[in-house]
Amino acid sequence: MSQETYRRFLDPATVSKLATMELRARLVVEGFVTGLHKSPYKGFSVEFAEHRQYMPGDPLKHIDWNVYGKTDRFYVKEYEEETNLRGYVLLDASASMAYGSGDVVKLEYARYLAAALIYLMLKQQDSVGLLVFDEAVRDFFPPRSNPRQLHVLLSELDRAKPSSATDIGLVLHDLAKRVRRRGLVVLISDLLDDPDEVLPGLRHFRHLKHEVVVFHVLDPREAEFGFDVDATFRDLETGELMTTEPFSIRRDYVRAVDDWMDRLKRECAESRIDYVPILTSTPYDRALFSYLEKRKRLG
Amino acid sequence: MNLTFLNSAFLFAASAAILPLVIHLISRRRVETVDFSSLRFLKELERRKIRRVRIRQILLLVVRTLAILALAVAAARPTLSGPAAGGAGRARTSVAIVLDTSASTLRGGEESTVFSSAAAAAAEIAGLMDEGDQGFLVTAGSPPESALEGGTFSRGILSGAVGELEPGFGATDYGGALELAESALSTSRNMNREIYVVGDLQQTGWRMTTGEPRRSSGSPPVALPRVYVVPVSGPVGNVGLVSAAATRKYGGSEGLYSVAADAINHGRVGGETQLRLFIDGVQVGQAGVELAPGAVGSASFAVVVDESTWHSGRVELPPDALAADNRCYFAIPPARREEVLIVGPDQEDEGGEAYYLEHALDPAGEGDRFRVSTVGASRLGNQEQGRFGAVILADPGRVSVEAERWLDAHVRSGGGLWVVLGGRTDVRSWNDGGIPGASLVRIRELCERPSGSRLVPSSYGHRLLDGLVFGERLVDEIVVRRSFAAEVNDAEEILDVPGIGPALAIVRPSDAPHGGEVSVLLTGLDASWSDLARSGFLVPLAHRLVDRLAGPAAGVGHAVVGEELSVEVDMARPGRVDVTLPDGRVVPAAVGHRRATIGWPHTHAPGIYAFSLDGATLALGAVNVDPKESDLTPASRRDIEEQLEGLDCAFIDPGVDIGGQVLAARRGRELWRVFVYVALALVALEMFLARPRVA
Repeated sequence: MSQETYRRFLDPATVSKLATMELRARLVVEGFVTGLHKSPYKGFSVEFAEHRQYMPGDPLKHIDWNVYGKTDRFYVKEYEEETNLRGYVLLDASASMAYGSGDVVKLEYARYLAAALIYLMLKQQDSVGLLVFDEAVRDFFPPRSNPRQLHVLLSELDRAKPSSATDIGLVLHDLAKRVRRRGLVVLISDLLDDPDEVLPGLRHFRHLKHEVVVFHVLDPREAEFGFDVDATFRDLETGELMTTEPFSIRRDYVRAVDDWMDRLKRECAESRIDYVPILTSTPYDRALFSYLEKRKRLG
Repeated sequence: MNLTFLNSAFLFAASAAILPLVIHLISRRRVETVDFSSLRFLKELERRKIRRVRIRQILLLVVRTLAILALAVAAARPTLSGPAAGGAGRARTSVAIVLDTSASTLRGGEESTVFSSAAAAAAEIAGLMDEGDQGFLVTAGSPPESALEGGTFSRGILSGAVGELEPGFGATDYGGALELAESALSTSRNMNREIYVVGDLQQTGWRMTTGEPRRSSGSPPVALPRVYVVPVSGPVGNVGLVSAAATRKYGGSEGLYSVAADAINHGRVGGETQLRLFIDGVQVGQAGVELAPGAVGSASFAVVVDESTWHSGRVELPPDALAADNRCYFAIPPARREEVLIVGPDQEDEGGEAYYLEHALDPAGEGDRFRVSTVGASRLGNQEQGRFGAVILADPGRVSVEAERWLDAHVRSGGGLWVVLGGRTDVRSWNDGGIPGASLVRIRELCERPSGSRLVPSSYGHRLLDGLVFGERLVDEIVVRRSFAAEVNDAEEILDVPGIGPALAIVRPSDAPHGGEVSVLLTGLDASWSDLARSGFLVPLAHRLVDRLAGPAAGVGHAVVGEELSVEVDMARPGRVDVTLPDGRVVPAAVGHRRATIGWPHTHAPGIYAFSLDGATLALGAVNVDPKESDLTPASRRDIEEQLEGLDCAFIDPGVDIGGQVLAARRGRELWRVFVYVALALVALEMFLARPRVA
């Protein structure tokens, strides 16, 4: 496949048409990596560790004795990074995530993003786990780095469906209590919950020395309230109805959403949490860049 | 102050005000339900913003409803009654000027006539028209006419129409003219509706066709018109001719006619007036008539004319206040020789009914007045239909069924029948038979009076007995000894036998449109029945009766100015009939078919109207000024107010400023502009409230 072909898979609408979750994850990452060769991140290896024949002068500590045991030859691992990073991908599967005004609903976008991140993490020899939640933890897979983990997590993502209401704060506190080892927490959610509940949950991770990245997934219509005619709106989580004239309240709505996001951004920054607002129309590479930035800082 | 609507029908449009509410409800029902991730932010906005939106929606609903209501009310033309100020908003006015153009307005001096003064007043009234006002012009002559069909909104056109009017010779008809004016105004929706009656207000012109109280002819809120009476005075004393007619003298010399003329003095001073008679334009007689104030005087002239041709005549009075009624025209037709068939018994003896009647109608046997044929009863039925103007059944006894059918056809086609009963009459045969008229004259019995009963007139003023009656008796004393007692229905009774009943009656048995008349003499002419045959009464009675039964003399018509002149013509061949007007103009009148009735409606001037075919005179018609036009006495205010009962009536005295009086009385202010402005303001407010508020 050409580079341009891979790049296509950064587009959410294109990815949603692919058959399996694994294919989606692989192609998103391939597309992303292809783009990286032209980016300031050139030289940052995300390839598998390569083996080459031992050359005089190479440090002995880099000889891969396992290979020597099997092949009776000296090989050294080049660029292999040994890390103890444990990644936790937290996916919000509440009913509000089922909303989408375009080709991709928020949950789909979040699932593909999670898949791409998991794929990327595992390829970098990190261990990665998955937590799917709504108002409580629905499924939790502890971090692993073995090759089967990819299949397990992607299958779980494939099954993730929108369900009931959200209680992000409760879930974050619950997870924080379970996780002892320091790691990277990636939250993918629309955060449509009380910020006074959400932000303490995030700070709880920080308190435990975890690194936290929040991917705030929103539909463009949620951000801009781009409705033209009078409509009765039905809350996907509560079923509540409300009739109004969108053109009359749009300005105030957008202002309220901006205030809300500004608060999340400000308070996340204060807690050194990476807050990444993403619209479902945004290509995946932006989110992956954010992740790599964080990963880089973690060394 | 009272609010009325001049176009109240448009108030129904106010029901359209419900439309915004209906649309609002429908559109609410059509609002789409959209799934949304969370109402969290909408709920936050509801308390302040969304509530405001709802209030704005209600405001919009109210504003739209009010805007439609205001437009509907504006279209209904709301008008506030009360004293009107000039300028914008003044209620519009519809004016109908009833201008007297009758013959009486021709009077006056050389410089000005009643009509010229009336026209000047009418022009002044026309000058009062303002923008948006509507004007109508109606003439009060005979017949009343609308001079501006549909009216005008132009003051200049109305003034011009007044200026073009000329007085005519018709009678005054204020009643008809007012009805025409009211009818014209009923089409108008203006609040002020005024009728101006301008003329000499002759009392004879105020006879209204209905005595019922007036009601508004427009929609209920529109008031009845206000009537302004504008009198124009002129000389009142006047002598006028009432009638002039020539009648053939019976029993006199050939061509001897009597011309009778009546004149009336409507002045306050009595005296002798000279009447002059003109035949074919030549004065042939003069007579003085003493006329007391308010009295009618008659003059009679005897003239001998050539009976083989037509003659026109007129009677003239000396000049006075009104010249139009000083001439009265009449026509003398050529004498006709009517064919008469007398049906007697098959074996007629001398001294029978047929014998007496034949000699009464044609004493010399020369047929100069009637051409008499006699026939026996058994031979009746073979004669040519239409040949005989009158048929006399002179006690013929029983007639055949064929004869009865022939008689029925004769009467149905307009012929006359005179049945003289006598000794051969069988009561049962008569009552059960089919002779025309028998069904209307049912014989009960034969009554005998050996000592005799005197024949008396049943109707004293009957034209057939003109000159033959003295007081309540006939001039000749005629004794009846035997007569049939009969029950007559729908009959015109002429003579009567006291104690027995009718002796001579005329019935019209045929239901055909132009069916003829049947006269029945219930006593015989024989001496054993009555003295009729030996009296001098039989000849004039027979002549007049046969004249009448044979139908009116063709070709003479009478009318007053404005009426249709109708004449019977007997044409040798079908063709176009021309009419020669009094001023000498010849115009086509109609296409006639042998015996025809020709009408000429355009009798605008008095005089002789001659109807001719290929230059040969067929008929003459005399058209005269209506005699009632001679009475120049104006109606009193009380009389006029009684005639105009139900209408708001005001009099404008001579010399008073018409405009000042009229404009001060006009009322009302139209408010439609105000409502249009309100509607426009509401529309602007609606546009402001409904403007998009997109962030």
